[in-house]
Amino acid sequence: MASTFLRTLEITVISGEDLRNDRRPIKKNAFAVVRTDSYNSRRTDMDTDGGSYPKWNQKLVVDMSMHAQFITLEVQCKTSLGDKTVGTARIPVSDFVGGYVPESYLHFLSYRLRDHKGERNGIVNISVRVKVPEYASCSRTELGIPLGMGVALGQRNFGGGIVTGVPVLCNYPGKY
Amino acid sequence: MGNCCSDEAGGRAAMGGASSQNPNVPNEAIDHFLKSRGYHGLFSQIELSYSAADLRDRDVLSKSDPMLVVYKKGRDGLLEELGRTEVILNSLNPTWIAKHTITYHFEIVQTLVFHVYDVDTQFHNVEVKMLKLDEQQFLGEATCALSEIVTKSNRSLTLDLVHREESARSTRPRNLGKLTVHAEESLSSKTTTEMILRCSDLEYKDLFSKSDPFLIISKEVENGTPIPVCKTEVIKNDLKPTWKRVFLNIQQVGSKDSPLVIECFNFNSNGKHDLMGKIHKSLADLEKLHSSGQGENLFLPTLVGHDYHNKVLLCISSILRILNYIKFFAFSLRLLNIMQILKSQLFVEKFSQSVEHTFLDYLAGGCELNFMVAIDFTASNGNPRLPDSLHYIDPSGRPNAYQRAIIEVGEVLQFYDSDKRFPAWGFGARPIDGPVSHCFNLNGSSHYCEVEGIQGIMMAYTSALLNVSLAGPTLFGPVISNAALIASQSLANGGRKYYVLLIITDGVVTDLQETKDALVKASDLPLSILIVGVGGADFKEMEILDADKGERLESSTGRVASRDIVQFVPFREVQSGEISVVQALLAELPTQFLTYMRTRDIQPLSS
Repeated sequence: MASTFLRTLEITVISGEDLRNDRRPIKKNAFAVVRTDSYNSRRTDMDTDGGSYPKWNQKLVVDMSMHAQFITLEVQCKTSLGDKTVGTARIPVSDFVGGYVPESYLHFLSYRLRDHKGERNGIVNISVRVKVPEYASCSRTELGIPLGMGVALGQRNFGGGIVTGVPVLCNYPGKY
Repeated sequence: MGNCCSDEAGGRAAMGGASSQNPNVPNEAIDHFLKSRGYHGLFSQIELSYSAADLRDRDVLSKSDPMLVVYKKGRDGLLEELGRTEVILNSLNPTWIAKHTITYHFEIVQTLVFHVYDVDTQFHNVEVKMLKLDEQQFLGEATCALSEIVTKSNRSLTLDLVHREESARSTRPRNLGKLTVHAEESLSSKTTTEMILRCSDLEYKDLFSKSDPFLIISKEVENGTPIPVCKTEVIKNDLKPTWKRVFLNIQQVGSKDSPLVIECFNFNSNGKHDLMGKIHKSLADLEKLHSSGQGENLFLPTLVGHDYHNKVLLCISSILRILNYIKFFAFSLRLLNIMQILKSQLFVEKFSQSVEHTFLDYLAGGCELNFMVAIDFTASNGNPRLPDSLHYIDPSGRPNAYQRAIIEVGEVLQFYDSDKRFPAWGFGARPIDGPVSHCFNLNGSSHYCEVEGIQGIMMAYTSALLNVSLAGPTLFGPVISNAALIASQSLANGGRKYYVLLIITDGVVTDLQETKDALVKASDLPLSILIVGVGGADFKEMEILDADKGERLESSTGRVASRDIVQFVPFREVQSGEISVVQALLAELPTQFLTYMRTRDIQPLSS
């Protein structure tokens, strides 16, 4: 069952602040792309009237591998020359998984965005909730299972018949 | 319209309304909106009502005729009369009808004193306000803090009536009966209406494109220009626009029947928006309009009506419809004379009401504020044995700055913490034979950090002064991380607690970036941090941590604080009449608490 190896995230991309395109505040048509790996990504609609302070407030449901360390969030802007990346944030999974808080806790998180040169470019505000199946609603930490342990991503077929497989017990060979 | 900003981007955004009901939007704008109107979400009007049981019988032939006098006790100990109830004849278990309204302030301890008198028959024709209290027989007194009442789940507190202090020594303690005080928050202030409005058949106002309409909702005031309370976003190029939902707080508009003006404008980037039509309606009218599903014609005052391509016939039906809706008959006739009815109509797509929970709702609904303390033991405070040290314990009993800060903050917060067990830490000192610790338990225990009550903090503090040697540097990170750990553990146990960490320090943090990292992480938890600076150091760096004075806090990994959780004040001698430092420190707490609860859509348990 593939869902055993995946977490489902509900990410609400709330808003952006002070977004600039070559130092000029962007005028309109900003949107956000959330990527958990190269195959899983979701994007928001374009914000048409928020200018450089866009408000999306849009919930994206996206799967994430159990052993993902980061997800990325990109704010892009549609211009006459095509979509342009305004800024990117790399979000550590540990910001919303692990620790003592309940697994399904609604996290409100904000991140600094950086453009392709690495310059600071605005802030993005999101909320993240890890969707916990009903039958497994107890916290993983309570069960004593280490977080981020090496579990296979699962085997998935992508068009050309390439199979991605990650060895199951690679991280904790001694334990099993 | 002068109140619409002419700035293109800003001017087109929706504004105002009551509160963003959307649980996912941090409501900083709303907080600002509330603050700009002078209330922080913490000033609640509270109505006090009273009853008593088993009062003493002082009359010979009949039962006592009790009257209650309510006082507010000032910081100087003086009593100020808030009001008197009526006299209830022949009753030892009276329930008074008179009620008193008092404004609840979170950040100060509001001590109330109640005196019960038996009013003799000879005075029964005298107005209660005129009664001389020293001529009446005293039945007992009781005292409590307002916060003790509002934190009770049923908002009722029963107190034992006692003798006046001076007479208590002479007479044996006797049962003088009980007084029950009930506090009720005014409900109308909490109700918010949500509407989705739409228009049809709007006119062309722009030369080459369709109009760019938006609505402004204003409250009509007697002889004056209407006060705008809410405005929608601008929809471009649309003659039948549907706007995003708007929120109106009943308190903002007065009542559900208060007349409102809804004006539709064509957006102009130069700020001179053209009026495209308006309508007079109360919220109750709009609700009717919604349930009928019909539209209502807009009109234009004829002075403005310079559009010739839109001649509208005054057909009988629209007159009848208008007469139906406009309450004041004469007024409506006057309007008909000078206005031009348009083909354009306003529809109410959605109308719903909801009650927004207040801070007091959460308190009564089982949420608690838990108090934690961390004290700076770095060497810059000076040798505690010398009088010039900030940690000097004066044998005369005069509290030092640290003790004063603990007492003043603690005495306000203790009422909101039911078990009154407070975690207390010290930092920047070397416990006996140990290395420097940046978070040690003040009580000397290696297992638990909690102490009993404010007195427990004071005792642990003085004994810690004897048992540790002051060192350095000043690190906040470990203390904040410990507080965050406690807050997150409470969440894991399903707790409904909100934590308040008080850090008292004499100097500037050495680990500014680590402190920021810890604060950014903590901004996602039910935690607020109060920092009090004592002594004469330059606290400029601390202001950086308090986000309302500058940019949002950013961690070394690029995460940004999702809300402001820090409040910093330097603790200086307060001159009489000045607002106390602690009041300023605590004033933001209810807002920070509400932001946390509302964004997560956490509801108070119903009481």
